[in-house]
Amino acid sequence: MAGVFAYAPAIAALPFVSFVVALLAGKYMPKKGALAGIIATAGSLGLSIAVLVTVFLGETYNETLYTFVGGDVPFELTFGLLLDPLSAAMLVIVSLIAFLVHVFSLGYMNDEGETGLPRYYASLGLFTASMLAFVFSDNLLMAFMFFELVGLCSYLLIGFWFRRAGPPSAAKKAFLVTRFGDYFFLVGVVGVLTTFGTAQFAGENGFPALAETVLNPETTADAVNTFGFEPATWFAILGLLVLGGVMGKSAQFPFHTWLPDAMEGPTPVSALIHAATMVAAGVFLVARMYGFYALLPTVLAVIAFVGGFTALFAATMGVVKNEIKQVLAYSTISQYGYIMLALGTGGYVAAFFHLTTHAVFKALLFLGAGSVIIAMHHNENMWDMGGLKDHMRVTYLAFLSGSLALAGIFPFSGFWSKDEVLYEALVHGLGGSPLLLGAYAMGLAAVFLTGFYTIRMVLLTFHGEARSDTAEDPHGVRWNVKFPLAVLGILAAVIGFLNPLPIKKLTGLEVDFLHQFLDSGPEALLTSSHHYSGLTHDYAGYSVGTIGGGEIVTLLAGAGASLGLALLGAGLAFALYRGAEPTRHTEKLGGLQTLLMHNYYQDEYQVWLAEGLTLRLSGAADTFDQGVIDGVVNGVSSVSLFSGDRLRRLQTGIVTNYAALIVLSLLVLLGVFAALGGWF
Amino acid sequence: MVLGAVPAEYYLVLSAAVFCVGIFGILTRENALIFLMSVELMLNAANINLIAFAFYWGNLTGQVFGLFVMALAAAEVAIGIGIILVLYRNFDSVDVTEATTLKW
Repeated sequence: MAGVFAYAPAIAALPFVSFVVALLAGKYMPKKGALAGIIATAGSLGLSIAVLVTVFLGETYNETLYTFVGGDVPFELTFGLLLDPLSAAMLVIVSLIAFLVHVFSLGYMNDEGETGLPRYYASLGLFTASMLAFVFSDNLLMAFMFFELVGLCSYLLIGFWFRRAGPPSAAKKAFLVTRFGDYFFLVGVVGVLTTFGTAQFAGENGFPALAETVLNPETTADAVNTFGFEPATWFAILGLLVLGGVMGKSAQFPFHTWLPDAMEGPTPVSALIHAATMVAAGVFLVARMYGFYALLPTVLAVIAFVGGFTALFAATMGVVKNEIKQVLAYSTISQYGYIMLALGTGGYVAAFFHLTTHAVFKALLFLGAGSVIIAMHHNENMWDMGGLKDHMRVTYLAFLSGSLALAGIFPFSGFWSKDEVLYEALVHGLGGSPLLLGAYAMGLAAVFLTGFYTIRMVLLTFHGEARSDTAEDPHGVRWNVKFPLAVLGILAAVIGFLNPLPIKKLTGLEVDFLHQFLDSGPEALLTSSHHYSGLTHDYAGYSVGTIGGGEIVTLLAGAGASLGLALLGAGLAFALYRGAEPTRHTEKLGGLQTLLMHNYYQDEYQVWLAEGLTLRLSGAADTFDQGVIDGVVNGVSSVSLFSGDRLRRLQTGIVTNYAALIVLSLLVLLGVFAALGGWF
Repeated sequence: MVLGAVPAEYYLVLSAAVFCVGIFGILTRENALIFLMSVELMLNAANINLIAFAFYWGNLTGQVFGLFVMALAAAEVAIGIGIILVLYRNFDSVDVTEATTLKW
């Protein structure tokens, strides 16, 4: 069965082939490249499942396949594959979502008569290929390369409708904001390479393992080049640099501003970006090099606080939005905040669990929103909808399943994962790291808001009376829209049972499958979750604490608090927005509503940073460059130009003059010799 | 030994005089043919020096050098006349002050 690893590179190669095919031959094909993409992603999905099964049976793979800079150099630059439980599971998620998005695009793009479809499917193929290659990267540099490709493809896809004014500007913004973070990431990659001489993620020679031996007081490790810093300080700097890229891609505060604007892209692309590719890449990177982050308590605290704050901050903005995709965009930022919170509080499995469930239900919600948008003839304003549940049964049920998962209502998937995230934050906060309780509190407050805006969105879209003519008589959708929705709708309801930790704790049944899976794999790779929890315990001082009577009480209290708050938020939304003609309650918020509608003026201050500060600084630098640096250079050249212009008059072209000069010089020379030689 | 009666300084003065006549020709004339002649004069001034010293030191090397210089002068004249011919074809004169088209 291990033979399947030989075909693993094809997981990324297949979508890449579909990219080439769609680009070159897309316009001659019946569905303009969609079929190539569907076949390729289905192939990737099949191979990923085969890899997952193989990894589940205990085989893993960590090989360098190609060395592009090798030989007599301080460090080799390589491409390789790392297939362990984490990457195998992520491959399945990514290829599943990509496959469903391709199918959905048939309904959203082909059936709506869009132009430029080969370009669309080519970008989609490249997007999938680069994300899959990013996931199975075995070293940080390769991961960085594909991370950048993911960013490029999101730029291409967000700006797909480049003839309108909004999308190109949104694409540019997404590109620039994530690139700002990636700049730090690049410096971090170079730092890791020069410090450790390797960027491998896993194994005894990987950089997390090397960092551990350096920090471990009991071992006498080979010294690494820390540029004169304490090793712990220097590693924290490296961790924060790489985290810059993560925060840009995963839309964490303050780099979240690109994500709501990215809604300008086609809706299937939003589903792909939010669920499985672009945004997931950031948090996946933290999980991938968790062996490194687990050594750094300061960085972990930063991750936890950024995550908790982002979760709450984004949720407040989601409350007042009127466009269905805007609500979903802010919910994505908020949910990735939870994942960061889990990573920062030592909940490695919880983070990946929430990443999984979020991938499913967010893809579902976006595809559902896409279905609604088709029905509404591309009107996204929820106040023009209403009453759609009677017209689109499948979409409504699937969307409801996704919404309940997002809101964290028992027993939908979001409940289990969000609960585990908050549980990890709570127990580690109680167990000697009280700072984490602050992040926990922000996460808990966001649960209430999540419940509120999710149910508000569902009620405004599907319930009540139709509030416009299009909502009276919506456009129908076909199987290619309903099929992905149905698959994801069922998954969103049940995927939480992958890892129902509370059931295990209460009944003792071994049902925490994801825990067991992420804990498997050979010790030599050093990527198992118990290795990570050992590291967070030994180096970051995280230990488990409880309230009152022990683990069960803590668990029930935490779960009760989050479920209660979610139900409270949902109930409040239900009370406010039910009925045939809901009123616009958020307008009563007055100034607060204006603040939230303007996203806390984040865009304004970032534009000010760019135009008011950076532009002025670079203007001054330009003046200095033009005036002083260029002035010196120009001065030197004008001196030689001037003297050359004068001196060339010596060259008359008349032989006699030259001869006269030679004779005169000879006479002068003779005179000098005579004077020095004392002839007179 | 008729030559021996004449002191060496006389030969040197003669040589210097012939050399100065050559220099004067080069510095003042504009005709390329006169240039060539002046150069010949300067070469022969050097020859006088060589032979006078060879005689005084009783060393034949100087005379051999004189022969070499004559051969060199013959070659130089051949090339010089060639250049002057080309000069004439291009500028319709052998005036050296007119051939200044290669200057800046």
